[in-house]
Amino acid sequence: MIKEDVIICRCEDITLKDITDLLDEGYQTFEEIKRILRIGMGACQGSTCISLLQREISNYHNIPIEKVETPKVRPLMTGVKLKSISEAYKNES
Amino acid sequence: MLNKTGVPSLSLIKTKFPEQNKLFKAKAITECYEEIPCNPCSTSCPFEAITIGEDINKLPVVDFDKCTGCGICVYSCPGLAIFTVALKKEKAIFKIPYELLPYPKVDETWKAVNRDGLVIGEAIIKKVILKPKQDRTLLVEVEVDKNLLYDFITIKE
Amino acid sequence: MIFKDLVIIGGGPAGLSAAKIAAEAGVSCLIIERDPFLGGQLIKQTHMFFGSEKQYAKTRGLDIAKILIDDCLKHQDLIEIMTSTTVVGLYKDKVITTLHDDTYNKIKAKSIIVSTGASERFFAFENNDLPGVYGAGAVQTLMNVYGVKPADKVIMVGSGNIGLIVSYQLHQAGVKVLKVIEAASNIGGYKVHASKIRRIGIPIETRKTIKRAIGKDKVEQVEIVSLDDDWNIVDNSSEIIDVDAVCISVGLIPQRNLLSMIDIKTKFIKELGGIVPIINEDHQTSDKDVYVCGDVSGVEEASSAIVEGYYTGLIAARNLGKEHQDFKTLNIDYKNQLLNLRSGPFGKKTLKGLEIMKEDANVK
Ligand code: SF4
Ligand code: SF4
Repeated sequence: MIKEDVIICRCEDITLKDITDLLDEGYQTFEEIKRILRIGMGACQGSTCISLLQREISNYHNIPIEKVETPKVRPLMTGVKLKSISEAYKNES
Repeated sequence: MLNKTGVPSLSLIKTKFPEQNKLFKAKAITECYEEIPCNPCSTSCPFEAITIGEDINKLPVVDFDKCTGCGICVYSCPGLAIFTVALKKEKAIFKIPYELLPYPKVDETWKAVNRDGLVIGEAIIKKVILKPKQDRTLLVEVEVDKNLLYDFITIKE
Repeated sequence: MIFKDLVIIGGGPAGLSAAKIAAEAGVSCLIIERDPFLGGQLIKQTHMFFGSEKQYAKTRGLDIAKILIDDCLKHQDLIEIMTSTTVVGLYKDKVITTLHDDTYNKIKAKSIIVSTGASERFFAFENNDLPGVYGAGAVQTLMNVYGVKPADKVIMVGSGNIGLIVSYQLHQAGVKVLKVIEAASNIGGYKVHASKIRRIGIPIETRKTIKRAIGKDKVEQVEIVSLDDDWNIVDNSSEIIDVDAVCISVGLIPQRNLLSMIDIKTKFIKELGGIVPIINEDHQTSDKDVYVCGDVSGVEEASSAIVEGYYTGLIAARNLGKEHQDFKTLNIDYKNQLLNLRSGPFGKKTLKGLEIMKEDANVK
């Protein structure tokens, strides 16, 4: 398999090679990999990549998939203009 | 092998047919071999000829003595798994559900197709029925050679 | 800030059903839907549904959507609907932030029902980002919602009900489906669907998978390979096929992102499709004022989502102090319907998943 050509996270353009390189370097958790690659932080907020990365980590470190921790999702789900937020604040006060 | 290809074996198909001598009138054949949560065939039959029971996962059982061959279950089955068939001399008359374009027209000759999707002969279109209550599923009556009784399943232009 | 007793996030089959029953009980609710229309995935289901009359069997999915929407519109005094509105944040004090066009809003709820459904599972193979690689659901949206023909020659990857149904609908739309391939040893979906597509000339081949998509700027070919019983690629089994689209239908993943924002307890239960919230019999999550129903709490057929929605609406209303006049009968009826829908071979997986969840709920 040509790992550079397998996309794991479409939003942030992360390939399987990006992932296995980090795993080879010794990174263990989803959270670590996310902080380096931004995987799961794009437009879909991990809807597509979380299960794929879970599986890669599970296979690589030989741990059951249900034991692979996934990162917390935080607001905001999509991009929101600061103007929109400030206007909502103005209307309230 | 039904589980691997979607095509049931001949012996499995035959379990759904009555004795041939009962087919002088049209009877419903329910090609439903697997327990799924579904029962419109039984609730739609005005003659209570199809039984599934309380547990809607059970397989439909046709009482061929009660079945009049009306064809209501044919367009009511969401799996398009029911047809009716009658034997008339050297011909088998089928009523099948059909949901593809173009629609067949009466007296046209179409291709008779088997469960593998292969052409096995000719099918003469006898009737094309589409009433509002059929909810866009056509009921097509076709005539094929009697030899195709256990092979014929649908038509192709 | 808008104040609401019950906010339902997601206006698909589960959310609409929940709103209907909650409104019947007298609760004022708000449905927030991201898409411009209500009905969720139902609006693109042109086939007749399974189940029994209570779940609208033999009605086409898009017509079930109409029924459920009409039911809600009958309660216009109690049900408010926001479409094209995305929930962008959920906070522990039950504040929901939304975005509609560029308008940002805050809503405070007493109770929340999360019925966000599921998203399509993606899958790793070479060139899986080439234009022409679609999710089967996306293809259905293009065809049946927007009337766009997605391609001319397609290969379907995955033989679950979605893969089989979408293959049939592609054929209806005049698209050539070359074959359906399935990595497992047996067809995943209902055999009646499989037989239906086989007879119109679409082969289904098990123990095969896609190795790569090939093409310069878009999909032009695919390479498929056979798998042995240990899921290893069989030597010399490669086959190159000319296609202009690959349809991926390898399952759905519960869409639990919002629940994660408020630290709802979840667990990976593969029988339910992945990470799901741990819920009790009343569909309450670890925050008792936050309920879930439909695919977000375990991927199943839409008929189950509808019944789960009714049930959750019933319970949420009672807990808000508005008991439905038929509470007792409906409560039993919905439970029985769910049991009935799940008691066949296809329901076993869900029941097992729910068992696993129960064990977890007890440990706490
Ligand atoms: S053909 Fe008519 S009578 Fe026979 S089982 Fe079907 S609905 Fe009933
Ligand atoms: S309606 Fe069709 S699919 Fe459903 S149980 Fe009857 S025969 Fe089977």
